Formats: sequence, C-alpha cells, structure tokens
Amino acid sequence: MPKLHVRVLRQRPDTQARYDHFDVEVPDDANVIDVIEACWRQDQNLMYRHACHHASCGTCAVRVDGKEVLPCIVPLTACKSTDLVIEPLRNFPVVGDLVVDVSAFFQRQAAAGMVITRDAEETIDGHPFQPSELLQSDGKLERRHYNRFENCVECGICLSACPTLSATDGFFGPAGLAAVHRAWEKSTNATERAALLDLADRDGGVWQCHGAYECSEACPQEFDPAEAIMDLRRALIQRKVAALFGGGR
Amino acid sequence: MPAPHVVIVGAGSTGAACAHDLALRGLRVTVVERGEFSNATTGRNHCLLHSGGRYAVTDQESAIECIDENLLLRKIMPDALELNDGLFVALTEEDLGFKARFIAGCEACHIPYRELTPAQALAREPLLNPKLLAAVQVPDGVFEPWRFSMAFLATARSNGAVCRSYTEVVELVRQNGSVTGVKVLDRVTGKTDTIGCDLVVNAAGPWAGEVAGFGGIEVPVQPTAGIMVTVGRRMNNMVVNRLDKPSDGDIVVPQRTTSIIGTTSWTVTDPDAIDIPPEHIQKMLHKGIELIPEIATVTTRGVGAAARPLIKRANEDERDVSRTFECFDHKRDGVEGFVSISGGKTTTARGMAEKLGDLVTRKLGLSVACQTRTTQLLSYRLFYA
Repeated sequence: MPKLHVRVLRQRPDTQARYDHFDVEVPDDANVIDVIEACWRQDQNLMYRHACHHASCGTCAVRVDGKEVLPCIVPLTACKSTDLVIEPLRNFPVVGDLVVDVSAFFQRQAAAGMVITRDAEETIDGHPFQPSELLQSDGKLERRHYNRFENCVECGICLSACPTLSATDGFFGPAGLAAVHRAWEKSTNATERAALLDLADRDGGVWQCHGAYECSEACPQEFDPAEAIMDLRRALIQRKVAALFGGGR
Repeated sequence: MPAPHVVIVGAGSTGAACAHDLALRGLRVTVVERGEFSNATTGRNHCLLHSGGRYAVTDQESAIECIDENLLLRKIMPDALELNDGLFVALTEEDLGFKARFIAGCEACHIPYRELTPAQALAREPLLNPKLLAAVQVPDGVFEPWRFSMAFLATARSNGAVCRSYTEVVELVRQNGSVTGVKVLDRVTGKTDTIGCDLVVNAAGPWAGEVAGFGGIEVPVQPTAGIMVTVGRRMNNMVVNRLDKPSDGDIVVPQRTTSIIGTTSWTVTDPDAIDIPPEHIQKMLHKGIELIPEIATVTTRGVGAAARPLIKRANEDERDVSRTFECFDHKRDGVEGFVSISGGKTTTARGMAEKLGDLVTRKLGLSVACQTRTTQLLSYRLFYA
C-alpha cells in the first residue's frame, strides 16, 4: 500500500483558494481517482466529479501535477512521485474544489450538433458493419446499422489545455470545433454542411486557434481536435477560393 | 392550489427516471444528489442495456422487465445507447447443455433470439474464442450510464423539476408521524436548509437504508458490490455473454473505444468503502480471456466497483437475489409521506419510475396517468441548456 502526500486546490465562490494536504494510503494498482476518493473519505466537503471510472463519461477530468488527465485511467505507477498536486481544469468557472461548471461547454457542444453515437464506419476487423437482421425479422425494429459512441467523451481536457482559450474570450474551443468537424464530415446535406462551415468560420471559430496543438496532445481519447480545426480551415479556404472564381458554394 | 411537491433523494438512474415521471405528471419535483449526478451505482455499472437474456432462465420476472424496457428505450432515448445486439456463447459441453433451457427462457420471456453457427458468430465477432460450440444472438445493447441518467434529468428539468447536485440529505423532517421535508447540506455554500414537501421519495440505491434510517425505518437493501475491468481496446462489436447461468466474469461489454469485463458479486456493509479484492481483477481478466483470447494482449485501462441495491429476502445467496425492484410505502411502518424504491436495474429505470409514480400519485390523491412510455427524452446535453 503506497503512502501518498496529496495537495488539493480547495475553493468556493466566496473564499480564497488554498491547498489542503491529505495523507492517504491506496492499493498498489490504484488509479488517481482512487486517491481523490481516499481524500474525500477524510473530508466529505471535498467536491469532485466522477461516475464511470473507465473514461467513458468524461466527468472526472482534473489537472494532476499541472497536466490535464482523466484520473480514472491514470495508474499511480505513471505518476512521478508519491507527492501529487490535484487541481481543477482551467478555462472553466469553478463551482467548488475540483468541480467546474460545464454548462457553457455543453451548450456549445449542443450547438455544434455532433451526435454522440455514430454509425460505425467499420468493425474491429476492418469490414463494413452489417445491419442487424435480428429484430427486423421479428418485425420489432426498423432496419438500422450498428452504431457506437463517438471517441470524444466531452471531458473538457482540451479546453483546459488550450492556450488560445487562456488568452481570449469567446473561442469556441477544440472539442466544440472538433464536434463541428465530425458533424460536417458526417452530413450529406449541402445546406447543413454549409451552415456548419459558417459556424466554424465565425468569430471565435477556427481562425482564432493559435495552432499550438496542446489539445491533441492532452486528449485522453487520442482524438485529434487540432487536426479537425486545420481540416475545417482547409475546407473554408477551398470554399472561399471557389467563390472568388465564380464557383459559388 | 399549487401542485404537490415531491423531493427525490438520489439522482442515479432510478431517481432521475422518477423525477422525469413525476414532473411529467405535473408535480413539483426537487431531486437532490449528494455528489455529481449518477456518480455511484448507475455511473459505475456494466453499461449493459439488458435484453433479458441474462436472466431468461434464472429470474424471468427481471428478464421480462428488461426486454420490455429495452424495446421502449430504443424509441425514446437519444444519444445514450449503442444498439449492437449481444451473443450468448457456448464454450464447453456444459454450456451447450444450457442452450435448450436458454432458448426456452427467451421464448417464455418474449426475447427475440437467433441461433448462429460458430462460423456465423466468428464472421460477426472475429476475436471470439474460435473453439466456441454455439452462439445465440439477442437484442442486448450498451448505454453510457451518466448520459442515460442525464437524459432523464434534462427532460425533468425542462418540465420544471429542480435538480441539485452536491446537496446531501442529513435529516428527514417529521411532523405528527408524517415526513414533511428534508434537511439538506449544500456542499457549495456549506449551509443547511430545509426543503418542505408533501412527500419524500427515497431513491438512494445502496444508501436507501441510511436515508430511511433518518426516519427510524428499515429498508431491506443489501448493498452488493460488483467489479468492472476495462481494457484498452474495443474487442467486440456486440455484447458477448457466456451461455450459462449468471456467474463471475461471464460478460464482455463493448463500449466506445473499450471493452468492459464483468463482474463479481459480494456483500458490503458500507457502500462508501468498497475495497476491491485484487484477485477479482485477475479473475475478470482470466474469464474474459476465455471468451475473447486477445484480451491477454491488451492493457487494463480502468477498474471500478460500485454497490448494487439488491432487495434482501431471507435465505438467498447474493447471486440468487432477484434483480427486480420494489416500492415500499412506509405507511406500513407507521410513517406517512415517505416511500422508498430499491432494487432493479438501470435498464428498467423508466418502468420502476412508472410504478413509483403510480404509488406517489395515489398517495397524494391524484389521478394522472404515466406518460413516459411515449415521451421522447431530451439529449443529455440539454440538461445544461
């Protein structure tokens, strides 16, 4: 059972932020979320978010030793020492301690319109999915393709890591723009595709990104928001060039 | 006269679905959750949208509840379900011997099924153990548990419900033998306040006994932990189950970019202090590898455990305790204005809430029918709208 010394940034809307110290013991194979829970058992006023403990819900994102992570999938063995500093995400309003307000974030995600489940482009062995005939033959459900959740878990880590967001107000943020990109990629409707490009093109859109690629670096799901932003820029340039030479949209 | 006010304690899938049911019936609803919404039993579960196949032989009451709700949720819940079916796979002669009973169980519980040859199963699931002897396909699915609860809460909120996270019930307020409110501690402000109401619903899951205890009442809930081991790569398209009675490590649920192996079952006294026995993790991996040998080649991504709120009945082993649910009207304990709901499964949350809503409206002297069967739920994201 490793003994850990943990410093957690504590705050409430009306109080000065401070670091509280916790000495905890957790099993050898524990993940950082287990450390946060051990701290909470000592002080149930400690506010933190968590649910699934396997990087699907995206709620538990925090900074550990200054780096954005999902603590549910970071083993202690991956930490540099037995001293840990745990802080909330940056670029979000803090509700209390490690809990940030994700309201504005989810409003932007909803505006981007990315569906959270996608039709899987291919199976794990690289073949196209077949529709499920099971319920169809039973007459209970319509014909449909297999689907799966998007890789993005909407954890907010990329927003916390984004230097543009730290410096400027109104930036749509990497996850939101990546969602616009996914929706644009997926859509076959020309009007909808044009509207999504308009969304990427407006103030706070893809042109505001400084191209630091910190978002893609920090993403726990190996999603690549920075590349999605660059791809939207390319599409916008193409559209502008086409319009210039009379091609229209 | 304003509509009656109901306070729901706990915002896991049960509390969230109850909030939706009661708000839709026109009641004023406040739901309080001591941490993040859906942070415990629902949040940390298997993510299996049951077809009922798992209980088709051993617990047909639960199996029927599961298939009915499964077919219904497909129509009303957006953005929170992967609907890829499930396979029950026979690896041994003993498993094969179970097949006839399994199929009879599916028929008895109106669960659609189809037998696949080993070659057909392998064509759909190339990483399955190639030594499989038979497979049966059923309409299992997968949900994202936090988003599942948030879809109910988003819809409840749009119908006027107040949803408070980080708000812990510390006392039941009583007057002349009736519960008339709850005293809560708001973890953000550090202040306690009293929320008055006409009725309190205890939907605290494995903590239901603790909440009922504030009123000096016993609820026969047996917190029973289970472990989930998640591996670093998605190994299957469909849910893969062992064709046998439910036992440890007999299911691999694919979700998003991962697969989740589950589960075990052991009784715990304190649902806040679940120590995961290390041998359980090894057992999950070992049993998972039997179903999908390539699990041996991938890393473990996350390990979690939470307690299920099973209903205790005399002389039952925890594996045999029914996974169905019960509503308790504490009038039977001499207390008015207080009901508990426990047991059940995330898959059946809507159905549980319907029964609870019927009980609550009856107690409040109202006659409003449940409308949740046909009401489209909002996307989880709109909770924050």
